[in-house]
Amino acid sequence: MMELFLLEHRKLWRRGTTKVCVFVCFVYAVLFGSVLSFQWFSFGSSNHTDSFGNNFDGYRMIRDCQEYSRAFGGELTDESFQQMVRDYQEAEAAHMDRRLQLTDRQGIQGWLEALYPELKDSSSLKLMVSYVDPDELTGFYERRQQAVGTFLEISGQEGREKEYLMQMEQSVQKPFRYEWTEGWSAVLSTIAGETGTVMAVFLAIVLSPLFAGERRDGIKVLMLTTKNGWRKTAFAKILTGLCFALEFFAVIAAGQVASQLFFLGTAGWDMPIQNIKLIAVAPMNMLQAEIYEYAFTLLGMIGYAGIVMLLSAAAGSSVLAMVSSLAAVLVPTSLENYLPFWLQKAKDLIPLVGTGTDIFRTNTLCIFGRYIWSPYLLITIPVLIGMLCVPFAVKGWARRMRV
Amino acid sequence: MELSIDRLTKHYGRKIAVDCVSASFKPGLYGLLGANGAGKTTLMRMLCAVLEATSGEVFLDKKEVTAMGADYRDLLGYLPQEFGYYPGYTAMEFLMYIAALKGIPRDIAKKRVRELLEVVGLESVSGKKLRTFSGGMKQRVGIAQALLNQPKILILDEPTAGLDPRERVRFRNLLADYAGERIVLLSTHIVSDIEAIADEVLMMKKGKFVLQGTIAELTRKAAGKVWELAVSPGEARRWQDEAIVANLRHEGEQVVLRILSDTLPDGRAVPCEASLEDLYLYYFGSEEGVR
Repeated sequence: MMELFLLEHRKLWRRGTTKVCVFVCFVYAVLFGSVLSFQWFSFGSSNHTDSFGNNFDGYRMIRDCQEYSRAFGGELTDESFQQMVRDYQEAEAAHMDRRLQLTDRQGIQGWLEALYPELKDSSSLKLMVSYVDPDELTGFYERRQQAVGTFLEISGQEGREKEYLMQMEQSVQKPFRYEWTEGWSAVLSTIAGETGTVMAVFLAIVLSPLFAGERRDGIKVLMLTTKNGWRKTAFAKILTGLCFALEFFAVIAAGQVASQLFFLGTAGWDMPIQNIKLIAVAPMNMLQAEIYEYAFTLLGMIGYAGIVMLLSAAAGSSVLAMVSSLAAVLVPTSLENYLPFWLQKAKDLIPLVGTGTDIFRTNTLCIFGRYIWSPYLLITIPVLIGMLCVPFAVKGWARRMRV
Repeated sequence: MELSIDRLTKHYGRKIAVDCVSASFKPGLYGLLGANGAGKTTLMRMLCAVLEATSGEVFLDKKEVTAMGADYRDLLGYLPQEFGYYPGYTAMEFLMYIAALKGIPRDIAKKRVRELLEVVGLESVSGKKLRTFSGGMKQRVGIAQALLNQPKILILDEPTAGLDPRERVRFRNLLADYAGERIVLLSTHIVSDIEAIADEVLMMKKGKFVLQGTIAELTRKAAGKVWELAVSPGEARRWQDEAIVANLRHEGEQVVLRILSDTLPDGRAVPCEASLEDLYLYYFGSEEGVR
């Protein structure tokens, strides 16, 4: 059985499409999505000249940004927040372009808009950070508490549900640890958070022929007349599919994490995620959130591999299996806006349809009258769906193997 | 060891592919002869338990083979008529894969694969991809895979298709050696393959066994039905339209015809010794388009 698994596994990896898919995904998600993004597209210093507008100096810029943020004492308080805004305005007034690029502009602007809406000058085209009076920026945490409550009410989350979420919120440590946030924001919202959707496409291409590719009559008959037969072959294939999902994830995640460690280092790992999404309620730090997002992707991939294998075993051809596998992810996503709210929440339980960024959500699912924070289910249900597909995949394969 | 089939029948809708056939196979080499569509492949697939019979059963030593499951498959070697393979695999890799399917431990499989590649004359190309192989070479890989588990029951569906004469001789010798204490059943419509090595021949027509016996017994049945007639070329054409002509050769100005007929076809005809091919043509001549 082990030998059969190893040979099935080798068979999958030696296919040209497998190598091309893993390579293309690596180039897209690691080289472009992470390495070049850190060094060039997202974090390179602005030069206002070439088409990307950035220099190829992200590594240096990130170090400088991290160094600059440490000047604010490592905690987000009213005083440090005021100082950040003041510092930004001084740099802007003195046309210190380089120093402006080191500030946490996006984060500061987000906090201002969410917590101090009354200070917004609707007649001004400038960012709030450019003109608000820093001395007026007081009561950061009280205002945040209020903003969270208001947000939940607007979202229709009241009563026990609101109580449940506010209780979570109470566990968030205040004042927030503070370091430069933009790097972590990129990691959690794009690099780790959105990779699953891209990987789903390649996973579908690679795993669709796993069963459907064995349609050649001669091979089928050979399998049926051997001691191990179709049944053990099916288990070897299932194991191969799951193993490939794991390996594929490992290749991409290892590349992304290595690049993250190289460019960002570990600074700021213990900041709460509220630094990058103020109204999140989960009492988690950046590292925990990143672990969640990668676990979400890994479990989603295993779940999705189960679905692809089921479709591969049931479909008459690899192309049909691939199209239906892709439809399983893309159709629910594209129909999102036309679905009722409860169905929108339910569709996120389909493997790789939701994203790891659900960690920032304040959604709950009510199961038998008990409120459960949606990420707990969003991380577990997809893998269970995939596992549920496995026996049906074997059954489908058995039906297809009839001569 | 005895492999037996009892009133085995297979229908595809209204078409009857195998029609209530019964037979018993003991160790030895059996040739299954029949025209295309006679039901040979269907019968072999039912013998291999990959195709469910409409009715009837296959037994090995009185045990029903589908109930034996993996135990039966462990004794089985099968070369299907359309032999499937992975084009990107080398011969060595492909045979190792089949060995894993057959549950042969890796170290034993390696040794056996090397031996078999030598036996089928492919040891020098064992590292080449199957997509580069000629039809005959692929067929030899197919033969090797069937022999991998040293099966007690070897079922070969058209094994000599695509083999050149030298390879066919080599293959026939291999099978003759192999049969011994095993049951070997091979189907073909190349009569000479069977004539040279089969202990017993079963002739199938329209899903039924029409003849069964040793080659000597069968050729005796054709005795008195084979004639040689020397005619002019113009007459030869007429004879080909009107009678079953098994062979035709030129001798000077004349053409010598080998005619199959129950009665003396012409006063000039002389009787001659019958072969298995004559018998085959006698039964299948019209189906094979021989006249």
